[in-house]
Order: sequence, then structure tokens, then C-alpha cells
Amino acid sequence: MIETWVEWTLIFSLAVHIVLTGVCVWRVWRGQNVIDRLIGADLVGTLALAVLVLIALIERTSIYFDVALGLAALGFMASIVLAKYLADQRVL
Amino acid sequence: METFFGLIVILAVLIGTAFSVIGVIGFIRLPDVYTRLHATGKVSVFGVVLLLLAGLFWTPVSPGKDIVLIGLLLLAAPVASHAIASAAYRLGIPPQQLMRNDLAEVVEKENDPTPQG
Repeated sequence: MIETWVEWTLIFSLAVHIVLTGVCVWRVWRGQNVIDRLIGADLVGTLALAVLVLIALIERTSIYFDVALGLAALGFMASIVLAKYLADQRVL
Repeated sequence: METFFGLIVILAVLIGTAFSVIGVIGFIRLPDVYTRLHATGKVSVFGVVLLLLAGLFWTPVSPGKDIVLIGLLLLAAPVASHAIASAAYRLGIPPQQLMRNDLAEVVEKENDPTPQG
């Protein structure tokens, strides 16, 4: 009984997160300035993380958590390096 | 017990989804870069972390990965937000309705070519 409710809640949440990812991609495409687009790209990474976690919860497998870990670490470094590149106009 | 955990999962997933929706609405609607950054911080710190807490109750296969991911997100997301805000200030994007600016003299001192002391 409760499993059905949890499953429908997870599927509803997955749909909402996919729509939010689409909105953020549109915002990256039509941003006002470069920092706005960088924030949008960061947010797309975070929402993709949420989608992966929800798929892991729906399928009840832990392999998606590995993908989410890699995505979190790489997305963090990408945001830091892109922000530094925009501020200083060089990477190192 | 299964019913109790299921209710916790439903509550956490709904609150996390609400935080994600509020964060993206703030990202679209707020007036300048810094307030938008403030809104998007909520998506990772509250939205995804609440989903991961739900995962801690719902899939008992890998609680270790789950806890590591929560710690990584709680450490990494504010650092990335600070880096982006700092880059925005150094690019010269003006904050709106500024009351007080402590960062101005720091950046001025950084850009000063004469050696200090």
C-alpha cells in the first residue's frame, strides 16, 4: 500500500525535476550575462544529480549513486574553475 | 515500520521538490545576479539533500554512499556559490540596492600595483 504511494510520489518528483532542468537549460540559452549562464549551468548539474537520485530510489539500485557521486565532484570542480577563469581570464 | 519509513520518504521527497521549485522560480524571477545565486543555493543544500535523506530510509543497499554524497554536497555547494559570487563582483556586475560594501576596498587593494609594506 505505502509502496505504491511512495512510488507515485517519486515519479511525480522526477517529472517536476525534469521540467525544472528544461527551464534552466532555457535560461542558460537566453541568459542576461555570462555569470547568469554560469549559475544556470551549475543549477542544471544539481538538478541532474536530483534526477539520478530519484531514478536510484525508483529502481532501488545503488549504481546510480556512483554516477551521482562522480557528477557531484566533477560539477563542483567545473563551477570553481569556470568562475576563476571568468574572474581572472586564465585558469591557473 | 515500513509504513512509517514510507511516510518519512513521502514527506522528505515532497519538501525537497518544493525547495527545488522555489529555487528555480527565484532563479527566474529575482532582479540581479547575487539574489539569483542566493536562490539557487537552496536547490542543492535543501532539495537534493532532502532527497538523499529519503534515500537513506528507502534503499538500505548503500547508506555509506548516501552519507558521503550528503557531506560532499553540504561542503561543495556553498563553496561553489561563493566562487561564482566573487567572480561576478570582480567582473564588475553591480549589485542592486546596495546598503554597504566591505568587498570594495579589498578588491581595490588587490588591484593596486604598488607593493604593500
